[in-house]
Amino acid sequence: MKEKLLLGIFFILFSGIAAGCGNGGGSGNSSEDAVELEMYSWRTEDRSAYEEIIAAFEEENPDIKIKFNPFEATEYNTILTNALVSGTGPDIVQLRPYTGARTIADNGYLVALDDIEGLDNFDETYLEAAQGSDGNTYGIPLSLNIGLIYYNIDIFNEYGLEPPETWDDFIAVSQELKNNGVTPLSVGGREAWLLSMLHGVITPTAYGGNDFVEDITEGEADLTDPRMMESLDRMEELTEYIADDFMALDDADSTALFYTEEAAMYVNGDFQLEVLENSNPDLSIGVIPGFKEEGSDDPLVMNWVDGSYGVVEGTEHEEEALKFMEFMASPEFGQLFTDNLTRVSAVEGVTASHDIVKQIMEASEANSTPYLMLVEYGLGSPSTKGIFEDGLQGMYLGEITKEELLEQSQENAERAAEEGVEELEMIEEDE
Amino acid sequence: MAKNKRKNRYKKHLVHLFILPAALIYGVFQLYPLISAALNSFYSFNGFERVDFIGFQNFITLFTEKPYKDFFLNAFSHNWIYFFVTVITQLIISLILALIIHSKIKGKEFFKSMFFLPKLLSVIVIGFLFSLILNPTRGALNTLLEAIGLEAFTRPWLGDMSTALLSVIFVDSWASIGFSMLIFLAGLQAIDKEIFEAARIDGANSFTVLFKITLPMIGPALMIMTVLTFIGSFETFEYVFAMQGSSGGPYYSTDVLTTFFYRLAFGTVDGGQAIGLGSAVAVVLFIIIGMATSLILFVFKRKDFER
Repeated sequence: MKEKLLLGIFFILFSGIAAGCGNGGGSGNSSEDAVELEMYSWRTEDRSAYEEIIAAFEEENPDIKIKFNPFEATEYNTILTNALVSGTGPDIVQLRPYTGARTIADNGYLVALDDIEGLDNFDETYLEAAQGSDGNTYGIPLSLNIGLIYYNIDIFNEYGLEPPETWDDFIAVSQELKNNGVTPLSVGGREAWLLSMLHGVITPTAYGGNDFVEDITEGEADLTDPRMMESLDRMEELTEYIADDFMALDDADSTALFYTEEAAMYVNGDFQLEVLENSNPDLSIGVIPGFKEEGSDDPLVMNWVDGSYGVVEGTEHEEEALKFMEFMASPEFGQLFTDNLTRVSAVEGVTASHDIVKQIMEASEANSTPYLMLVEYGLGSPSTKGIFEDGLQGMYLGEITKEELLEQSQENAERAAEEGVEELEMIEEDE
Repeated sequence: MAKNKRKNRYKKHLVHLFILPAALIYGVFQLYPLISAALNSFYSFNGFERVDFIGFQNFITLFTEKPYKDFFLNAFSHNWIYFFVTVITQLIISLILALIIHSKIKGKEFFKSMFFLPKLLSVIVIGFLFSLILNPTRGALNTLLEAIGLEAFTRPWLGDMSTALLSVIFVDSWASIGFSMLIFLAGLQAIDKEIFEAARIDGANSFTVLFKITLPMIGPALMIMTVLTFIGSFETFEYVFAMQGSSGGPYYSTDVLTTFFYRLAFGTVDGGQAIGLGSAVAVVLFIIIGMATSLILFVFKRKDFER
């Protein structure tokens, strides 16, 4: 009697566990006629905005439902990789720009989108953010990120300063602020990526902007180029105008220095605008989108594509997913995106209602240069961008010289390129 | 009678079935990852999937090629620093605390819970709090130092190559001190009071009692805590990650083997993954911990025999 009871308890317990495990797998087809597409993203904070945008799409396409499924940004890469490799994945996925998207595309996990209507709504260079090594486009670029110098209009007015237009102006303004006991610039040096960002915003006019980028892409120049050294000279010259002990400040610290009006200027992406406005509604924010090159009327703005969306190869609902891609490439989507998220859409011809967003959008359309480190040097593990920005920390801390920094970066770039070729060969062999 | 016996045996075996759910969970979440990580370290990856068996190539790359070998040595040395400093800031201090609490002082229970309290906070919360406290300009620590006239000692604690790692270790020790204190306290309370009385009657002073009686008697607790501290120092990840990020900044001055592993195996936001190399780091870490733990146990056990 007793053992039967024990056995009974065991089976009840065990079947409970087994059933619990089983439930996860069977989702997917909803009972309605509508096709449900699952969409992965790393923008948990944008859920409500996305849902509004998706609602607009569903209204036009009542037979398609889209389930927006965002994950923590720091976990996203791992989750996406697992989903793709195991083949239990979503239909539409958000792709990390440049190297991130290229690796996934090269491994054959994505549907080529070259025939999508509306692809010509994008600047050629933006499409590069989601191209495979074969040159096909695998993702619809979503938003542009723009690196900026934010400045405090009140502080500038107090000392009768104009927003600087060139590097020389910038140094003059910074010196003036410093003389008056104001911290000119706030940078969170403890987070290395902010130093890459600083380099990208401050130095394009030092390394010769798009000419140098072109030389890099064509293999005619590398990171040990004297022009690159000039950009580091500029980074070094900047040191005395950055907040004290900036190597001990993180992103939040340096942001706080700016919105509590202790520092007059602050370098970060346009995506920080909302944070600044929310943190101190009384702050009078102005932006300097970049410096002017000699003989140019427009400042050179550093921008890059922040993620794009692609369709997973082998999805049962490719046709419907492609329809959504078409929607994402349309000016209608771009407008909705800009309105709902105060971000810069990658679709051309969208207008922003927010003054600052409008200003940077126009500046970026007039004259822009890619974020050199992210666009050209994202390859490898560790990536050259990582080596470079960690090296900038080393430079500011006096651990390595500028020459060593550039040598190490170039060395890593060559290693990463070799690795990239090897990986491609492995994939081809596999096929 | 015979039937009853068989029934009993059947009953006995039935019990074994009950470990099946636990064994399954252990197998899936512990054994499987362990074995697959070990296997991964012998394969090449195309950024996504395992491709070819390449023998020890990942290990060779790790120890001979730039930048990996530099990263490895740098992180490895930091783990050792972590261990030795933790022995002082956590083990020795918690032992002293345990001795004080074990003596006849008022408010024992209160202090016991106070010292243990930080252990209840999440690592992320502690990391965040101490980032604020150690902030160079607005942080409580530098403000305090200035207020009591010790300006000369103010530092950009987390942004200085020479203090960043020590700061992280200090925070870790602060949070974990209560746990080792409790282990020592349990050891102390297990000692028969008569031994102390006898020693006193024989004329032993406090130092003799401490070194000849108390410490030898809590030998097992010391052994456990040394082993746990070693494992903890080599597996440490959370505090470095929470306070200094996965690159162990600034300029790798707080980089440890686990953050190095993390960067390789999981990649950074914009960098690629090197799962094979990452797994190789994990395997090396496993071997280091296994060997060192056996060595520590051996040393303590041999002492046991001598006694």
